[in-house]
Amino acid sequence: MKSKVMGLSEAVKEIPNEGACLALGGFAITRNPIAFVHEIIRQQKKDLDVYQTVAGMDTELLVGAGCVKKLNYTSGSLDRFGRLERINADIDQGKLDIREYSGLSLSMRFLAGAMGIPFIPTKALLGTHMLRDLIEKKDDGVRVETSPFDGEKYVYLKAIQPDIAVIHAQYADKTGNVIIEGPKWDVEMAKSAKKLYVTVEKIVSEEYIKQNVEKVAIPSLYTHAIIEVPFGAFPNAVYKVYDYDREYLIDYAKTNKNIDKYDNYLKEYVLGTKDHNEFLEKIGGLARLSNIKADPIFGYKVEVS
Amino acid sequence: MAEKYTTNELMAVTASRLLRDSDNIVVGLGLPQIAAQLAKTTHAPNLNIVYEIGSINPDAIEMGVGIADPRLWYQSQYFTSFVGTMGHVLQKGMIDVGFLGALQVDKHGNLNSTHLKTSKTSTGIRHFNGSGGAADMACFSKRIMAVMKHDKRKFVDKVDFLTSVGYLDGSDSRSREGLPMCEYIKIITNLCVFGFDNEERVLAVETLHPGISVQEVIDNTGIELSIPEAVKRTDEPTEEEISLLRNQIDPLKMFI
Repeated sequence: MKSKVMGLSEAVKEIPNEGACLALGGFAITRNPIAFVHEIIRQQKKDLDVYQTVAGMDTELLVGAGCVKKLNYTSGSLDRFGRLERINADIDQGKLDIREYSGLSLSMRFLAGAMGIPFIPTKALLGTHMLRDLIEKKDDGVRVETSPFDGEKYVYLKAIQPDIAVIHAQYADKTGNVIIEGPKWDVEMAKSAKKLYVTVEKIVSEEYIKQNVEKVAIPSLYTHAIIEVPFGAFPNAVYKVYDYDREYLIDYAKTNKNIDKYDNYLKEYVLGTKDHNEFLEKIGGLARLSNIKADPIFGYKVEVS
Repeated sequence: MAEKYTTNELMAVTASRLLRDSDNIVVGLGLPQIAAQLAKTTHAPNLNIVYEIGSINPDAIEMGVGIADPRLWYQSQYFTSFVGTMGHVLQKGMIDVGFLGALQVDKHGNLNSTHLKTSKTSTGIRHFNGSGGAADMACFSKRIMAVMKHDKRKFVDKVDFLTSVGYLDGSDSRSREGLPMCEYIKIITNLCVFGFDNEERVLAVETLHPGISVQEVIDNTGIELSIPEAVKRTDEPTEEEISLLRNQIDPLKMFI
């Protein structure tokens, strides 16, 4: 079968320089496609229309770097480490066009996109100010209608098929069969995209895929590109491969409270590194990374005394 | 009955006792999760715990920093997607209890976890977080519980932003909006337990925590309240519950 393996820089070059609709797969501090996002910032893509169900550092980096025009999401945080203060500050200052949903309603828009249907009904969002604001902003993602089957009121959610979806996963083979270990909150989103880019910790053999077929969450027919990026979610966690970097997240949650510090961070760590390897060297290289490797049974770093 | 316990312990125990064996529940991190674990260890061994990220019935041995922390997924029985939890389970009507937290609650039990109004920004808001699955849980769960710290600025007549539906404008407005009807909404605070079991669906004290005065609740609530002097007291935790919380469920005291 044909290889879909690409380099990171080459993959990001395929994204239009302006106005792409991009969905990201991270969830708070887990499996965020950080390496891919860094490369988007280095290549200075602009006016992105970004979708993410529960945002993390991945979307915040894009917003902080001025790449995002519109953000469609439901919430986001660094879990207990802190909030996404760069996103919050841009919202507070009216600099970012935000479209807020509930987790289920945004996921259902992806589900409809993945199934090729025009819309999907739900009662989620009824009575909320998310719905009020979406209607006020004339967002075409929602319509309040009466179902012809039970005569009841529903929100009809318009299907989304983003131009590009990017997820980070543990493994894939070169043809694009993707193994996700742990929860798979992002599969409907991944399947809804016109082009799915998957960064993985390691490209494995087709033999490995066939021996672990029950772990394949996304078959190759959905995949546009496979990009091998070890520690591609750092400093966020990848279940069974490495833990989140606690100290890094504590520092990041201080940096993102101040715009000047944040701009310096972007200049030094993202724009100031030519690729992900250089970024990983800059943050401390193997000495730091070997310290967060996960126990393969527990899935996170276990202290051995 | 335990002789000494903290307010957080009392809140966890109170929430835990509201859970019934074989309930299916959706929880987030913090006190709700502690309460669920306590219930599962005591009177509700058949509790099914669903996390929106796509994990069902984990048996974590370490506390995490959030539901995206792999510590929370240890020994899970099932991994699925957001649609798999919030769609196939919650929206289908299979969740008995949705357990929430919020920045604000109003007199009809509507919750705000998105933003607060302020005069300090050009848009007049200070954005904090958002719904995540909270709005979905408030919409579809049969029983809704929220744990909140008692504060005048958190208990308000109208929430600054309505993220998660309670009884909307009171009376029958929730069902008139086309929303599924819930059995009850309860707000557990550090001073009392609130419910809305009256015709107008207005916030009312159900039980007052031991040692708390009626005046203390009135002074810390930004909503007009009438509390009868003979209001019931919240049941106190048992020695066993406190010991389980301290020694087994949250020994590092991350949440209690």
